[in-house]
Amino acid sequence: MDYFFHILVVALVYTVFALSLNMELGYTGLYNFGHVAFFGIGAYASALFSLLGFPVFFSMMAGMITAGAAGALLAVPALRLSGDYFGIATLAFAEVVRLFFLNERWLTKGPMGLPGIPRPLGIPSGVSGLSVYLFLCVLVAAAVFLFTRRIARSPFGRALKVVREDEYVAQALGKNVLSLKVRIVAVGSLFAGLAGALYGHYITYISPSDFTLNETIIVLLCVVLGGRGTDWGPVLGAFLVLFFQEFIRFLPIPVDFGRVVAPLQGMVYGGVLILLMLRRPEGIVPEHRS
Amino acid sequence: MAEYYAQLIVNGVVAGSVYALFAVGLTLVYGVFRFINFAHGELIAWGAYLTLLFSGVLPFGLAVVPALFLTVLIGIGQDRYVYRSLRRRGRITLLIASIGLSYLLRNTLRLIWGSDLASFGFEARRGISFFGIIVTRTQLTMAAAALIFLAFLYGLLKFTMMGKRLRAVADNMELAEIMGIDMKKVGMTVWTLSALFAGVGGILIGIDTNLEPMMGLTNLLKAFAAVLLGGAGNVWGALLGGLFIGIAENLGVAFFSPGYKDAVSFALIILLLLFRPTGLFGLARGVR
Repeated sequence: MDYFFHILVVALVYTVFALSLNMELGYTGLYNFGHVAFFGIGAYASALFSLLGFPVFFSMMAGMITAGAAGALLAVPALRLSGDYFGIATLAFAEVVRLFFLNERWLTKGPMGLPGIPRPLGIPSGVSGLSVYLFLCVLVAAAVFLFTRRIARSPFGRALKVVREDEYVAQALGKNVLSLKVRIVAVGSLFAGLAGALYGHYITYISPSDFTLNETIIVLLCVVLGGRGTDWGPVLGAFLVLFFQEFIRFLPIPVDFGRVVAPLQGMVYGGVLILLMLRRPEGIVPEHRS
Repeated sequence: MAEYYAQLIVNGVVAGSVYALFAVGLTLVYGVFRFINFAHGELIAWGAYLTLLFSGVLPFGLAVVPALFLTVLIGIGQDRYVYRSLRRRGRITLLIASIGLSYLLRNTLRLIWGSDLASFGFEARRGISFFGIIVTRTQLTMAAAALIFLAFLYGLLKFTMMGKRLRAVADNMELAEIMGIDMKKVGMTVWTLSALFAGVGGILIGIDTNLEPMMGLTNLLKAFAAVLLGGAGNVWGALLGGLFIGIAENLGVAFFSPGYKDAVSFALIILLLLFRPTGLFGLARGVR
């Protein structure tokens, strides 16, 4: 049961993470290939604040804001040109952020990582606090879900979809395309930061190797598999992908072959992404277009 | 002190000539197909690792041949089985497919060869000194090989019919098609060149340092920066961009921690996007 709760917590963290990417990729059509950077910034900032003795809730807010600000700062130069460049800039940004975590030992302790991150509300670390933390994650994920749904249905959300379909039409309608994009990237990064903070305070230990391209691919797969630009798609995708990932652990793989599991998993993720694009680019839940 | 900087610049030019090989391939594909191939980096890694594989049974000079041949096959296969059918489906599907493909290829590589460092096993030799600047034989090989391949590309683009077709397609694809240019042939040539150059560059990097599964990604970012510097789709701009990145990276070591060597290209990308989105050399109209 505890193990099941653990998977649920991780799946909910990824639900928040996937919902945040969906705002950019799904609603606005911005290919962010470095979304893990904001997840990582949120996790590190929140962990550092809480290790300094600030209350955990305050730290998580600070982590969110740091990630959101970083997103806005990156978006301003990166979004001035067409989407391909945003893909490049975000991919490169994620690498630089990882290098920063790795090299700035005075702040992040480098490859050693940060141990002993406290959980919020005095929830004890380890198995005993699991159910309470799960409850907290359900609340947060539900709040983020409702918030993104509200954004999608607002005039702002509709403008984003126009930008996705045709930027020139959006411009002709008098929308400031750059400002719309920068705002949604800031919001997306903010919630990616929240997901990162939830992750860090749950696992209680983070290191640079938790925030690599692998995590970007997983979250991308969650969104694309579930259905880009839909409310439930990212939620469904996150649960499917994360449960698949845990399911692999139970396959009867001989110990000697343990080292092949991670590459095989990566091959499956890459392969599924390609197959989806070839056969069903809209994902499991197709977007309702009226 | 002057010698120290001269040495860094020489190192930079050598590294940059290899980056130029990557960037030229990336920009060729962009010029014709108008999309950025995120899986380009994996061709670099596969070229190097396949050479490692064949050098187990063949002398190194011969091992390069089948390795490059297979790398080119992977490059053509990328187009044939993935990109071709997505070309009319919009950029977002194409780009997601290309990042998925890069992940698939990289993990296949990890599955076969593992995640540890590997090397071709050349012994390090004492360099030759010119006026106090030390150049190793490896560096000479790298520069020479890059020069040969780039000269070959220049000849191809400038003096052959295929080169003319390529330039026409890059200039205006629809018009070129109307004029009866066989797009399939052009496409094949572009993918062959792009994969060949990536493979050669990968092997050179493998000779210089070592092989690791992530070598594709790190070098891809440098190639991106070089392409942006030159203005996307511009072959000679990409060449200059590659050299520039190589020099900037190596000079950068003099000023900040070598841990950030790979961050130099990112900083350049952001600075360019902010100030000179059409590319530093302004040789081409920038692509929006």
